[in-house]
Amino acid sequence: MTILDEILALEEYKGLSPAEFFYRNREIAGFSNPTRALYQTVRELVENSLDATEMFGILPDIYVEVEEINPKENVVSVRVRDNGIGVPPEEAPNVFGRVFYGSKYKLRQSRGIFGLGVKMAVLYAQMTTGKPCEIRTATPKSDYIYSFKILIDISKNKPIIVSKRKEKNTKRWHGTDVRLILEGNWSGSKNRIAEYIKRTAMIAPYANITFRGPGVELIFKRVTKKLPEPAETGKPHPKGVDIELLKQLISGFKNLKEDPPTLQEFLVTCFDSVGTITARRFLEWAGFDPNVRIDKLRIRDLEKLARRMKEYNEWRRPRATPLSPLGEDLLMKGVKEILKAEFVTAVTRKPASYGGHPFIVEVALAWGGEIKPMERPLLLRFANKIPLLYDEGADVSRKVVDNIDWNQYKVKMPAPLAVVTHICSTKVPFKGVGKEAIADVPEIEKEIENAIKEAARRLRRYLSKKEKEMEVKVKYVTITKYADEVARALAIITKRDKEIYLKAIERLVETRILKRGARIKARVRRR
Amino acid sequence: MPLSDEEIIARLEELGKRVAEQLLKGIPPYLEIPVRTLKNTIWDEKNKILRLGPAKARREYLDVKSAKKFMQTLLMLSLIIMARREKDYPTIRDLYYMGKHTITYIDVYGRKRQEETWDDQRESNSVIEDIEVATGILREEMGIMHDAKGKIVGNIVVRSKGYLIDCSKMGSGAYAIPPNPDRLEIVKVEADYVLVIEKDAIFERLNEEEFWKRENCLLVTGKGQPDRSTRRMVRRLWEEFGLPVYVLTDADPYGWYIYSVYRSGSISLSYESEKLACPEARFIGVTTSDIKRYNIPRNYIIAATDRDLKRATELMKYPWFKSDAWQYELKLFLKKKEKIEIEALSGHGFKFLSYTYIPEKIEKKLWII
Repeated sequence: MTILDEILALEEYKGLSPAEFFYRNREIAGFSNPTRALYQTVRELVENSLDATEMFGILPDIYVEVEEINPKENVVSVRVRDNGIGVPPEEAPNVFGRVFYGSKYKLRQSRGIFGLGVKMAVLYAQMTTGKPCEIRTATPKSDYIYSFKILIDISKNKPIIVSKRKEKNTKRWHGTDVRLILEGNWSGSKNRIAEYIKRTAMIAPYANITFRGPGVELIFKRVTKKLPEPAETGKPHPKGVDIELLKQLISGFKNLKEDPPTLQEFLVTCFDSVGTITARRFLEWAGFDPNVRIDKLRIRDLEKLARRMKEYNEWRRPRATPLSPLGEDLLMKGVKEILKAEFVTAVTRKPASYGGHPFIVEVALAWGGEIKPMERPLLLRFANKIPLLYDEGADVSRKVVDNIDWNQYKVKMPAPLAVVTHICSTKVPFKGVGKEAIADVPEIEKEIENAIKEAARRLRRYLSKKEKEMEVKVKYVTITKYADEVARALAIITKRDKEIYLKAIERLVETRILKRGARIKARVRRR
Repeated sequence: MPLSDEEIIARLEELGKRVAEQLLKGIPPYLEIPVRTLKNTIWDEKNKILRLGPAKARREYLDVKSAKKFMQTLLMLSLIIMARREKDYPTIRDLYYMGKHTITYIDVYGRKRQEETWDDQRESNSVIEDIEVATGILREEMGIMHDAKGKIVGNIVVRSKGYLIDCSKMGSGAYAIPPNPDRLEIVKVEADYVLVIEKDAIFERLNEEEFWKRENCLLVTGKGQPDRSTRRMVRRLWEEFGLPVYVLTDADPYGWYIYSVYRSGSISLSYESEKLACPEARFIGVTTSDIKRYNIPRNYIIAATDRDLKRATELMKYPWFKSDAWQYELKLFLKKKEKIEIEALSGHGFKFLSYTYIPEKIEKKLWII
């Protein structure tokens, strides 16, 4: 059961407010102590900001600031400002002050799911310092900028508007600026937050990100103005259904009572990659009447339908349109900029799927430059453009990277090698509730392996060219270092001037070594 | 006829001039040097000597692996030519120091580095030998000196630098064989044979007893593994005066190999066998079978080590140890796993070696080849 399922179940059966549930189970969402909580707050706000910009075709400008308000009592403020689409004034109190209110609950790749995390951060701040959440926001073309101070009524799961103001939007600004005052341990989380920001800049090379905190300032300028293709909203794939989803989809039909669709129509309309023929074949195989009206289906039927849909192996693969990978070019740019590597190559695999969920694996290999040689390759993991910093040992990427025989690719450990993995999916199979490690799903594992191997073959090509260039250099150095001794000996033996031999050696080096070296270099560049 | 200094200089210069011409024509320069390894050593069955085979290696300047050797060879060649022109007689150690320069250069990573033209004398000695094989001139002929350790005593008179030296008038001492015996004029020899003794101490003992006077022979020692001048001296006595050569060593594979060096030449210096080897040199002992024949007391017998046994197995495979007599002795050694020193013969009294063992071996022709 996912957390969401748990919450839904609780709401349904015990009448417990979701806000209250969160309040009681804050550690699940990553707010277990002041160090984790500060890191988590920054993450939630930054990810929200990125989603509010790039998903709408806006190049992100993100400003993050942490201030120590009362270091003795661990009171800090976190402020995150973006240039995104903003929040309409009438929605703002609910967006920040009501759990499960939001626009993100659609089947497509995004960083968060319906902004749960931000509300958690608001709740945590309120819980630890009693201070309201401060918001300034304007939608594009809005004449006004709206400011709110909001608290959450935990038992009723409703926002309490502490104050509300509006001002003229003279500069036509749009975006959201959020400030939270919370109990947080700056010295404990400083490095982790800096690392998080750095890695976010790597996976979002089209963003300007500024991060300021006591003793830290990181400024990442965008290295490209190209945004990845935004994800489209998709339909669920029949392989990934459960009864709850079926119920939701059925209840989504507006005139269910007057004109209920047939089971076959239902499948074609509501599911990804299902046409009339596919639907008929499946229903025949599953033992259903394609013409039965869906309002006539009982729970027992739904159970059977969900089970048979999962069992059926003839579905077409889910479409990858709800996914938004970074693409080889952007990934390469981001990795090169952040790691300052000598060589970077990236591979974006074709879409694949597991259990009805589409996914795309992207991998980058970075070699040399400022990367320090290590016994095992440095691994940087991302899922849906979110950096994963914890639980590396449990992640499927670590397993794959460690199982690769790097010698085959001319990489001799310890080597200055970094492997970047990015898994995009409408449902990333995380291990446990921490959402920091990806489980060993065979389909994903295979894709990661293939992606790394493809990139590694490119790395090998680069390294062998480099090796050849090195051979030329070594030859040049070896021949020229003995030139003086050779020329002097020949001058003595033949009783002639040493200079003529030095010149002859110089010519020889020019024609026999340097020209050949230049040819190799040219070949490298052409690739 | 020994080569004149002019001829030697001309032949040495020839080697360098070829390289100079290649370089000036824009051809990647190289030296061709015969290979001095066991693989390129040929056993000349007819003449019973080791010869250098036909394999040659190109030492190319533009090859990273051979560039340094190429430079070292030319460097050494220039030093030898200079010495010859100046009529100097440097030792191999002198040449090592004269050619030892520090080269400063920038490596592939842009760092300043230093390198010696050669790191130890083995490297400079090795290129001297390369120049010998490439030109066919021995280093003695090039006027290069080495630590000569051979000694000779007996009825022989030589002339060196105009001085007459009578080797029967050395008292308790002996005449030290000079580095280039070819420069000695052998004025007079009155002896029936040459006895070569592996060990200096035994040589001294026999000299003290005036064995050479009693037996009318010449005594020579090379103090273990003989140097080239000792071998050249023995070769001249055999070649120019027809004296039979007898060799006496310890009864172990190392002693036996020393005998084979006098007789056939050594693997590393096979290119000069023709000038150094004595194909008819006879081995009078000590053999493994002597342990039984002369009833050597147990306390003189030493157990052979694994290294001894391994060395004996190697000797058995060399073509110049393929005679029946030698195969028998080596097999017996491998079976008995026992060795003795020459001194073991003193088990029958100190006079046994000189009054019984040596004369009997020679008279009764108990030697092997």
